[in-house]
Amino acid sequence: MAQQATETEFTLDTAAELAGAEQGRETIRGRSPWYLAWRRLRRNYVAFAFLGVFVLVLVACGLAPVYASHVAHTGPNSNHVLEQVKVNGHLTSVVSAGGLIDKKTGKSCSVSGPGCVLISAIPIGPTWFSGGGRYVLGGDSNGRDVAVRLLYGGRNSLIVGIGSTAICIFFAIILALLSGYFGGWIDFVITRFFDLFYAFPVVLLGIALGSALAINGFHHFGVNIESGSIWIPTLVISYVLIPYIGRPLRGLVLSLREKEFVEAAISQGASPLRVMFSELLPNITSSVLVFFTLIIANNIVLEAALSFLGAGVQPPTASWGTLISDGQNLIVTRPWLALAPGIAIVLTVLSLNVFGDGLRDALDPRAKVKIEH
Amino acid sequence: MNRRHTRKWLFTAASLAVGLALIASACGSSGNKTNTSGSGGTTSGGTASGGKTFANFRLAYDTGIDYLDPGLSYTVEGWGIMWNVYLPLVGYKHAGGPDGATIVPYLAKDLPKVSADAKTYNFTLRSGLKYSDGTPVKASDFAATIERDFKVDSPGVGFFGNIVGADTFGKTKTGHISGITTDDKTGSITVKLNSPQGDFLNILATEFAALVPADSPAKDQSTTPMPSTGPYMIKSYAPNKKAIVVRNPNFDASQFDGNVPSGNPDMMTVDIIGDDTVALQRVISGQDDYDFHQLPPDRLASTQQKYGDQIKVYTPANTYYFFMNVRVAPFDNLKVRQAVNYAINREALVRIYGGLAQPTENVLPPTYPQYKKLNMYPYDLAKAKKLIQESGQAGAEVTVWNHDRGTDPKATAYLTDVLNSIGLKAKEKVINSAVYWTTVGNQATKAQIGFADWFQDYPHPLDWFDVLLNGDRITETHNNNYANFDDKAVNAKIESLKKEPALTDSVNADWASVDKMVDEQAPWAAFMNRQFTDFFNADMDLSCYVNHVLYQFDFQSICKK
Repeated sequence: MAQQATETEFTLDTAAELAGAEQGRETIRGRSPWYLAWRRLRRNYVAFAFLGVFVLVLVACGLAPVYASHVAHTGPNSNHVLEQVKVNGHLTSVVSAGGLIDKKTGKSCSVSGPGCVLISAIPIGPTWFSGGGRYVLGGDSNGRDVAVRLLYGGRNSLIVGIGSTAICIFFAIILALLSGYFGGWIDFVITRFFDLFYAFPVVLLGIALGSALAINGFHHFGVNIESGSIWIPTLVISYVLIPYIGRPLRGLVLSLREKEFVEAAISQGASPLRVMFSELLPNITSSVLVFFTLIIANNIVLEAALSFLGAGVQPPTASWGTLISDGQNLIVTRPWLALAPGIAIVLTVLSLNVFGDGLRDALDPRAKVKIEH
Repeated sequence: MNRRHTRKWLFTAASLAVGLALIASACGSSGNKTNTSGSGGTTSGGTASGGKTFANFRLAYDTGIDYLDPGLSYTVEGWGIMWNVYLPLVGYKHAGGPDGATIVPYLAKDLPKVSADAKTYNFTLRSGLKYSDGTPVKASDFAATIERDFKVDSPGVGFFGNIVGADTFGKTKTGHISGITTDDKTGSITVKLNSPQGDFLNILATEFAALVPADSPAKDQSTTPMPSTGPYMIKSYAPNKKAIVVRNPNFDASQFDGNVPSGNPDMMTVDIIGDDTVALQRVISGQDDYDFHQLPPDRLASTQQKYGDQIKVYTPANTYYFFMNVRVAPFDNLKVRQAVNYAINREALVRIYGGLAQPTENVLPPTYPQYKKLNMYPYDLAKAKKLIQESGQAGAEVTVWNHDRGTDPKATAYLTDVLNSIGLKAKEKVINSAVYWTTVGNQATKAQIGFADWFQDYPHPLDWFDVLLNGDRITETHNNNYANFDDKAVNAKIESLKKEPALTDSVNADWASVDKMVDEQAPWAAFMNRQFTDFFNADMDLSCYVNHVLYQFDFQSICKK
């Protein structure tokens, strides 16, 4: 590498080698910022451990179809209300009978009376490993296997979280570069656009858009997205968060815009596009990467909130938010219905946040990246 | 009308557009024998309270109050309060069980005299009646009340479309309805109909016909309550927070021949609580006396165990069903509709609702005397699959509609799975409950199949078949016949039964045959009659509890230990 540099261009590495050679010392090798970041990151064992947790979650959710077909033997939306499963050798109803039950006969009473008791139909609780792989985390009111839905729900939550982050960051970068580089009326228009979004709380705006699009979907500008599609919450979340990423990135671009290397590029005749994408963009990449991890976690939580409120992923499609919503009515008798997706969200978000913090420390220890809304 | 899920029933434009070709003769429905299975049965009528009065009855209500204006409210929550506040000329007996369906004179001296052609109703107002503000009740207030309904775009105006001149007044909203004539001196009120209408007395017993002063503003008066004629008056109402109902100082129960009791609580404090569990906890802890909410399934067992004596379970007249739009493929095919009926396991759906329901495939609820249990479609998945294959609709794409409140979405989650299992390609579409009924009731939506339920507006089969399944009453918007069911034989039978003056045994048998005719054509997959709970704190004496056939728990009847 050093030899190649000698032949082609004069770099710091080459200079260090020449100096070292003159003084008879061992060469001090220059390191790229990415290498230095990687070196800092790999020494952060906590961040790596949590990255491992996130990878585990990813793999588990990715293997949902395998678990569903080979272990639980049911799909995420398959109802088994009246079925029975063997738990520890005993047949157990997936959803127990309920209603007004005659104490003596066990049959249903048509009217309430002293001989009748009121019993609620309750789904099966966690069988753990005594149900032959079925209903490991229990069932829901429709007799659906919660473990299967948890894994499928995780897939959907991660798809929405990662997908919306990618879309959001893509548009935020474009707007930040345009705004920060050109300034003037372009900056004015874009920042007012950001202000407009800031005026609405994220969750409320998400609910409004999600609810509106849930009825008829999105059919404009040649784009057709059916209601109930997972693209709806993905796009809604990415849309409402653009200013929250765009504004700090614009700030970065504004400061970089005044740096000498940008002026040098401009003076050498570089076009605005070249300056934006070859000079400015590489210099905000570290911040973008940090944002990416933190925003995924943020978006998973936002998706869960919207789905919980009925404005995100639509039933019967599972997501961690819809699973918590399904489970809230049985929190006393069947807490695992809500706890399991809750724990999954906590693990995923925690792992992404800790890893994101580690990444930030590695890429730019002085950076103060945070998301506020 | 729907209980726990606020829903405005829109006869309004629907009925007006169709023009209400209602035919029948007079004196309709005093012979109804609708029954509730609640523990009601105690009559709390009478003019005195028998020394059972107490200071304040505190209700943990739900958020379903739409209005506290009798011209606008169309929910059980609203009517439950206003039943004892704003009185119509005639109303239902304050009694539990079948007696509650008996129509008795309220503000009118007697039940109306009906002309031989059954098109003219003559009432005479009781003398000496006063509103809660002390002003006298006048016969002309009745005409003004019905006209006000039209002016405020009441959801109930469709009920009055058969009154001569009502259609014209509805369009112009000027002048008066020519078919209503009144004389303030004699207290005489005459209502002329375009054609005989068997359930007209039931309609006059609705809150839409409850008298308010003629000078009442033609806009929502929920928060500025109008003077009332009943034993109570609304003192204040803060939407989604609280309503306070107090005694009407000018009410004299002795004027009503025992038909309108004065009530036991001196005051009712209606605390509006959004969450079922919070409402339950408030009653358990003594902050409220009564929980209007359905008990949360999660808490049923523990509540039953600790407070079993304080729970009342009852079955209001209701039917939960999946409608299948016969105008839209694949449900334009009878075999597909029958397949759906065979494929759903009604017992499973009952369990999904926590077990508090009875499976059914009838349109009419079992509380009706016209009810004759049907069992045409026992659960048979293989037969359902076969029917789908025979229909040639295997693989057809189907969108299952539902709203997003309560347990109902779970029912369509089940249905979607069932439809997929019999060879259709189903997906679910769950939308906000605020727009659901108008969306599926709009022909432009072309909703293929979806969830619906119906709670009676009044105890008469016409409230079911005529409103929900008469093909002659299908409208472009605000359509209640979500299945667009339009069967000539059924329509003709409904029209013919409208003419029957009384619900005799043979008429009841005919209504039962309509139920069967509908089931054969399978525009619905009816699946259950739901049960509900009333829960009281330990201070309340439930020996006074009355569950009414239409208004459910009669708040004024309750007493304290």
